[in-house]
Amino acid sequence: MKKTIFLSTFALLALGSFAQKRTTTSATISFDATTSKDQLPKADNKTVVAAIDITKGTVAFEAVIKNFSFSNPMIQEHFNGEKWMNSDKFPTATFKGNITNLDKVTLTKEGTYTANIKGDLTLHGVTKEIETTATINVTGKIMTANATFSIKLADYEVNGGAIAAGKVSSEPKITVSAEL
Amino acid sequence: MLLIAITAVIWYVFTLKFDDTSKTKADFVIGSQELIREFEKDNNLANQKYTEKILEVKGVVTAVEKADSSVNIKMADSTTGSYVIFAFQDQSMGDAKQVKAGETIAVRGSCSGGVYSEILETNFISFKRCAIIK
Repeated sequence: MKKTIFLSTFALLALGSFAQKRTTTSATISFDATTSKDQLPKADNKTVVAAIDITKGTVAFEAVIKNFSFSNPMIQEHFNGEKWMNSDKFPTATFKGNITNLDKVTLTKEGTYTANIKGDLTLHGVTKEIETTATINVTGKIMTANATFSIKLADYEVNGGAIAAGKVSSEPKITVSAEL
Repeated sequence: MLLIAITAVIWYVFTLKFDDTSKTKADFVIGSQELIREFEKDNNLANQKYTEKILEVKGVVTAVEKADSSVNIKMADSTTGSYVIFAFQDQSMGDAKQVKAGETIAVRGSCSGGVYSEILETNFISFKRCAIIK
């Protein structure tokens, strides 16, 4: 009898906690490193894995570098090459962080929230703490999250010659969009 | 004269766009479950074989997911949770939106390799610039 109660409680708790982690396999991350000299270095990745735990406030993203899609074959190749993202060695970019104002962001209730996000971004094998805000909209069962921020490529040891030549922005704009 | 030629080549390389995937020959033709199994058996070997190659993958659609203003199509292995996910070229987004879960289709695209997701605790293989092959 005790064992049954214990197992049932455990199962219910496990199910409950599982239900709090919302995931998607189709989040989009765009980056824009264009400059006045070059409109080519920008790409989208539409198969980003994302997860938000709505009670704990944890946020995680994983983007496969090779699935950033460029219109130009040469830029596609350079971007993944050893001198840039070196995606053979560092196949994925990840973010692991938290909503730091969780007391103001009640994701179990419908509404639009401005969440402060802080966490570790790992890109090109280098991990740096970043902070940004995200707009999270909860309507019925759907939650959408959007964020825009910039990163300094030099912080992640990405230092290709085209940056110095003004053809690639040293601080590309990153846009994140997810429906969970 | 040489300078004009060099300029023309540089201009050509920079303005070149990827060919329409539906008009590009596939390097490999494979079933989705077979592809997933190959990556599960040896991820490194499969990555060496398939990454940046054009694959035509046939299989049952397990999910059609909204992605920005487009959709992605997934073919998953129900036992392991591993999946293949296809992101579409602009010209094929209309076709992709017509697809329903449960249909058997063939998708051709550029393979971006297989990775293990720590978030999902499963493997996935992603594709870009995809086209539905009719």
